[in-house]
Amino acid sequence: MLRHLLKLTWKRKSRNLMLSLEILIAFAIVFALAAFGLRYLQLYRMPLGFDSADVWSVTVVPGDNGDKRFDDAVYDGLRRGLAELPEVKGVGFASYEPYAMSTRTGDVRRSAANDKASGRQVRAEMIDGDDALAGVLGLELADGRWFSVLDNGAAQRPVVLNRRMAEAMFAGERAVGQQFINADDARQTQAYRVVGVVGEYRGKGELAAPRNFMFMRFEPGKYGRDARIILLKLRPGTTRDFERRLNARLKLVKNDWTYQIAPLSSMRASMLKTQTAPLIIVGVIAAFMLLMVAFGLFGTLWQNTTQRIPEIGLRRAVGASAGQIYRQIVAEQFMLSSVAIVLGLVLLVQLPLTGAFGESLNWPVFAGAALLSMAVIYLLSLLCAVYPGWRASRLSPTEALHYE
Amino acid sequence: MFRNYLLTAWKVFMRRKLFTAINLLCIVLTLVVLMVFASLLETAFRPSGVEGKSDRFLQVYMVHMESPNGAGRMNTPPGFKLIDKYLKPMPGVERVAAVTLPTSVSVYQDRNVSELKMRRADADYWKVLDFRLLAGRLPTAQDDAAGRMIAVLNATSARRLFPGAPKAALGQRIDVGGQVFEVVGVVEDAMHLNAYADIWAPISTFPTSDYRNQLTGMFSALVLAERAADLPRIREQVARIARGVVHDDPKQWPKIRFWADSKLDLFSRILTFNEDQPDSGAGKVLAGIAVAMLVFMLLPALNLVNLNTGRIMERRSEIGVRKAFGATSSQLAVQLVIENVLLCLAGGLIALAATAGVLAWLESADLIPYLQVDLNLAVFGWGMLIATVFGLLSGVLPAWKMSRLDPVHALKGAI
Repeated sequence: MLRHLLKLTWKRKSRNLMLSLEILIAFAIVFALAAFGLRYLQLYRMPLGFDSADVWSVTVVPGDNGDKRFDDAVYDGLRRGLAELPEVKGVGFASYEPYAMSTRTGDVRRSAANDKASGRQVRAEMIDGDDALAGVLGLELADGRWFSVLDNGAAQRPVVLNRRMAEAMFAGERAVGQQFINADDARQTQAYRVVGVVGEYRGKGELAAPRNFMFMRFEPGKYGRDARIILLKLRPGTTRDFERRLNARLKLVKNDWTYQIAPLSSMRASMLKTQTAPLIIVGVIAAFMLLMVAFGLFGTLWQNTTQRIPEIGLRRAVGASAGQIYRQIVAEQFMLSSVAIVLGLVLLVQLPLTGAFGESLNWPVFAGAALLSMAVIYLLSLLCAVYPGWRASRLSPTEALHYE
Repeated sequence: MFRNYLLTAWKVFMRRKLFTAINLLCIVLTLVVLMVFASLLETAFRPSGVEGKSDRFLQVYMVHMESPNGAGRMNTPPGFKLIDKYLKPMPGVERVAAVTLPTSVSVYQDRNVSELKMRRADADYWKVLDFRLLAGRLPTAQDDAAGRMIAVLNATSARRLFPGAPKAALGQRIDVGGQVFEVVGVVEDAMHLNAYADIWAPISTFPTSDYRNQLTGMFSALVLAERAADLPRIREQVARIARGVVHDDPKQWPKIRFWADSKLDLFSRILTFNEDQPDSGAGKVLAGIAVAMLVFMLLPALNLVNLNTGRIMERRSEIGVRKAFGATSSQLAVQLVIENVLLCLAGGLIALAATAGVLAWLESADLIPYLQVDLNLAVFGWGMLIATVFGLLSGVLPAWKMSRLDPVHALKGAI
């Protein structure tokens, strides 16, 4: 039976080649979409590392283009002025808030002394944060402690890493207490000392891939960079109309500055919207393409069976049952799809093997996407074969033999 | 002769209505996607609506600075000082406008907080862009000079803040992040590179005047030429001006470059990271778009090839007769390609109507704020071009196959 099918398919190889090619491309499109969606699902289920409920961010825009440095008194004034508001439970300062579009990244490596042992550079996202930030964002420390007054006057800049970064830098060792330096700037080496490790921190939100991350202790006037984002933990149930009083209070502290106030929840919503928009657009276009492929396959199979009516009549006349004819048409289509899918898998498996997409196309995502797209393509091509097959099997042998 | 082709084509299409319908549906689906894409591009880059003069203005959006040995590089929007001191005095142009990029602001009313996008612009901005005024007036140079706290709203925001006709908003006071503005005008919504915002105020309403001393900042400049033909000269002029700009910290940033770009150039420059050279990479971007469209057509074309191949086999007796009477292979191939292109053009017309529907849905669905796409003659032209390319792409292979049929076998009806 199989040999017979193979022979029949081979006889019409150029036509079948085009059909297989079409199925192959459709398979690749479904695969891309499934991989995209599964990866997002996978990311969405990973822990975020912070709690954005009732946290608001205030961006301070002094209109100085980032040239000036704020001194201690400015920060004290802001901190005290805001803490007086009854709604405010905590005030923290950071250089970037969660769900911010901008990031700062840098390379770090272990100090030059043991350079040869582990001279690997690690790239990390960096945020300057003050002592109160952990409380405001609800960061949970897996090891060590957050910054505190104990760090005043420390020789090296205190940092807190996320677990991923700690593993990348100090694999197999305890990260707390270790030191490292930045590898970006040869002229002025900045030394860091790890005081704590948080479990996870994904500042770009639920759909962002986990990255190496380090918090650096922020002290006003030191290290040449300001933390111009105020993060406020508010009492639960504070409504948006608090913003006006908050703005008035900030204006009391510094009247000629501008403040951009936004709850993290609304920043989260707009971040999710920008991240899912490409998926939705690609999904809609892919759905249209699949619909088109379905029509095309249906039409082609219909034409194929129409052309083969004399052949089918002959088979019926020598004793093949309607069910056998039906099974033959469906099995042929199944074989064509299988050839295309196997070829597609052989090509697509190169992506995770070569690591072209890095971590985003990991093996679970690949396997899930492959299974999902296989199911879709088999279903699609079999559905398209069912009606032409049924129609062919229904012909009576006498009609079929006479068919012109 | 051509009439015969048309007649045959019509007869063939009508003989198998189901397949013609499937063919047509595939063509329409493909072309709708491509035409929506083309008309969005068309609206973005053709002079139309509020940016109707964009064929004779250029914008400076980005300043590229380099430190002495090229180690440090920075790209930032220009500051007000750069525009005021270096670009505004430029000779041979109609006017130069300064406007900030849109930033998020909160508008407070009693218990309501509305987030709007705000721009601060000088009086020239309103003369470079053709905003359609619905009520009130636009800010003038006197307002700039006096630093009046006035604001212009767009129609949607005016309706949101002050329900009713646009007139209802006039004379009202709004609290924008602690500053109180009086609404003096309401303009129509606009979604364009330089026009997009919800609320506009004069530049002189900034809380501090620090912006006057800043070479880099958050502004962009619009340079309006008297004639479109002047643009190449103005580009050179701006590039020359850039070489003469001295940074406040000339040791740190001795090299400053910026270019006046058309909208397409600007878009390409950002996309191709060509911030440090005069060439914006527009050619590369256009080629990229064309290739992407062709690749997108690949699957539908393959689909159509499969369908067409089947149809040709049904017509082999017709082909056999024509060949027996002396028609050459190339004549037959041309005929089939023409048939296919005709079908694609018919599909293109239907797709154009469907595109209008999709665009109307896009406008109402608010995926892109204030989107207003009009299907004009240019979009029609692009649509037909895309349909023809698609027809050729999907017709050539079956035609070639058909023309190779042996007349003897074809007449007998065997392949």
